[in-house]
Amino acid sequence: MDPPPNPPSASRPAPSSSSTAPSPPVTSSPLPPTIPSSSTSTTPLRPPSPRLTLATRTHTQPPFLIATRKLPILKAGPIEALQTRLHLPAIPEMIFGDNLVCIAHPRTGWSVSFSAEGALDTVDKTGTGEMLQVAYAREWSRSREGQQVGVEVVRRYDWSYSAVYKGDEVRAAAAGGGGGADAVAGVDRDGKGEQPGMGKGLVVDETGKTEIPIELLKRRDPILFADEVVLYESELDDNGISAVTVKLRVMQERMLLLCRLFMRLDGVLVRVRDTRVYVEFGTEEVIREYTAREDKFENVKRKLLMSGLTPDGVTVALRDSNEVAPLLPVVERTVESLCLADKS
Amino acid sequence: MSDIDRAIEQLRACRPIPEHEVRELCHKARELLVEEGNVVTVNAPVTICGDIHGQFHDLMELFRVGGDVPDTNYLFMGDFVDRGFYSLETFLLLLCLKVRYPDRMTLIRGNHESRQITTVYGFYDECLRKYGSANVWRYCCDVFDYLALGAIVLGASNTMPSTTASPLSRDDVEVEVHSSDGRIISRFLRHQDSSENQGRINGGPNGIPSDSSDDTPTTTAATTTSTAPTLTGPPGSGATGSSSGSLGDPAGAVLCVHGGLSPLIDKVDKIRLIDRKQEVPHEGAMCDLLWSDPDEIDGWGLSPRGAGFLFGADIVKQFNRKNNLSLIARAHQLVMEGFKEMFDASIVTVWSAPNYCYRCGNVAAMLELQEDAGGLGVLARSNGDVNRSDGGLAGGAASWGAAGQNDALLPTKRTGPGRIYHVFQAAPQDSRGMPAKKPVADYFL
Ligand SMILES: [Mn+2]
Repeated sequence: MDPPPNPPSASRPAPSSSSTAPSPPVTSSPLPPTIPSSSTSTTPLRPPSPRLTLATRTHTQPPFLIATRKLPILKAGPIEALQTRLHLPAIPEMIFGDNLVCIAHPRTGWSVSFSAEGALDTVDKTGTGEMLQVAYAREWSRSREGQQVGVEVVRRYDWSYSAVYKGDEVRAAAAGGGGGADAVAGVDRDGKGEQPGMGKGLVVDETGKTEIPIELLKRRDPILFADEVVLYESELDDNGISAVTVKLRVMQERMLLLCRLFMRLDGVLVRVRDTRVYVEFGTEEVIREYTAREDKFENVKRKLLMSGLTPDGVTVALRDSNEVAPLLPVVERTVESLCLADKS
Repeated sequence: MSDIDRAIEQLRACRPIPEHEVRELCHKARELLVEEGNVVTVNAPVTICGDIHGQFHDLMELFRVGGDVPDTNYLFMGDFVDRGFYSLETFLLLLCLKVRYPDRMTLIRGNHESRQITTVYGFYDECLRKYGSANVWRYCCDVFDYLALGAIVLGASNTMPSTTASPLSRDDVEVEVHSSDGRIISRFLRHQDSSENQGRINGGPNGIPSDSSDDTPTTTAATTTSTAPTLTGPPGSGATGSSSGSLGDPAGAVLCVHGGLSPLIDKVDKIRLIDRKQEVPHEGAMCDLLWSDPDEIDGWGLSPRGAGFLFGADIVKQFNRKNNLSLIARAHQLVMEGFKEMFDASIVTVWSAPNYCYRCGNVAAMLELQEDAGGLGVLARSNGDVNRSDGGLAGGAASWGAAGQNDALLPTKRTGPGRIYHVFQAAPQDSRGMPAKKPVADYFL
């Protein structure tokens, strides 16, 4: 049984500068043109730099191609450029802007990819939505009353970085396939709107019948390729955590990708927003399921205590999205599907 | 060999000392710290460090690069614990060194030196794991309450001492960035009085527009963004694109604090009035000093989080002028390059945890301020008029071009202490003595 080639916990020593690529991970190979070169500090249309290419691992499981890329957090210049592009007043302090996960179907040009920029693009940028406040905000502002300084809230936006992120889809080229590579090459992250209705893409399942076949995924089929890629993480100024992480595992006949936002605002709220992408290689079927869960912090804490954990155990469990997710009520769920096989 | 020396030796090997020794150490440390004011006075030369966060092996690397204690005089700006795997060994070693060499080691408090934060972010768990009880955590927290809130560095030179390594007159050098093996990666020269530079687009530190009064944010952001790559060479060098025009007192002191300023504090003396011997409160001046952040805004701002302040360039410059400061050094925020100067070099963020959380891939830095030998800091040579029409976007690069072209002796406004940033990387993985984790197939659903 092959273990995943690169352990998720692997951390590399920092490269000395941007020109020094970290030692290429195990199965790295040149990046084919079908992988969108999105989300990076360079202009979207430029082909990926050697640094990005070197850091990219690819795996082909015909007729799909899977790629992951892991690099250090962005430097000051690229951070600013990203912030400007996103129109966000601030971005998470740990921003893995060069990281990428992509599932592509080269024959038709269809792909879905996950990047920090894509995820942050779904964050409320103007603070028009519900504005969260830290647990002690009221206490804090009460103590400031009557002070001579008239201080206003600056930079209204969703500072909890609660992305609603299902990945960035590039639809297939017009029916008949072929030319897929052309259709995708050079398409940036916003390529989803590139050719509306031109080719096949994920469609919401209205019948309610489509489900990811969990039983098949529970089988211990050998894992041929696996990775875990962090897109961003914020410590919310030491008020909790907000992180988007993508995990994937590829078996002989199928694969599963999980993109998870975990947002814990201590004393206030816990959110887990999962996007799962399931691919059945034989039938060329893709299922994407989005599940949003959330609950008040107090409720989560109570459930953990009732499960028999000590108070210390609860603190530890609250850091682990896997412990917390099953306790949270589902607040939103959608399933989409797509079949890329020629016959349909 | 005294007990304390033995403890230092053991901790240097990353082995925790027994519980009763921790109790004794913490007791001694408290006796020492209680005598310190809220704002400790430190004389240059001194090497100023930012967050460490339990990354013990990287702290060893810091000492290797920056020099050992007591040969080098250190000032640590807090956040010794949490996140990393060795908060305990890190804090206890620093504390031992403080007790052993009180005049060569200054520790000030970070927002993580608190009971509440350490229970959430790892130090508490680590103590429990390593000792089987929370006693050691409690001893440490009692020490946290006695840590100073800030430090004032006096007598920092605003010229670089001449070395044989430099072809330039080091009088004109304001900032040097050194690699961990002591090579000069980059160097930035002093500019003239900033009053000449009004209206230009100032390619500020890290490419962040700093003369916000003159330019709309959009223009400057666009310009500096496009020029940033040319300024960003080696780690951290881009961070000093331009250091002109600090409006503080050029011969003034340097204030060190973990987070930043507070609207309740307009004079350093007001920090001295705080009753600091307590858990970090959720509000008030003490909270602000440990939590607030500089930001590209005008005046004071309230964080969208509903608690915590942000402060702009005008606040920093005003504060520096009022308090005869040349610079504020603070920590608290991760920066990829290890340091980041802002607001015409009136404030700098120093970050000393390389490859933060063992996965960010960032470099770390420490700031060395040297001793003013001659006391002649204020009057010095100028490097002439440097391409003022270039929109300032060349920053340090422009100074480079002009170096040596113009040796005219002109009175010039000194813009701050000479600053040497030592940039260093994470200690090699294998030096951590951690068994490489066997990859386990993760059948997540
Ligand atoms: Mn901090």
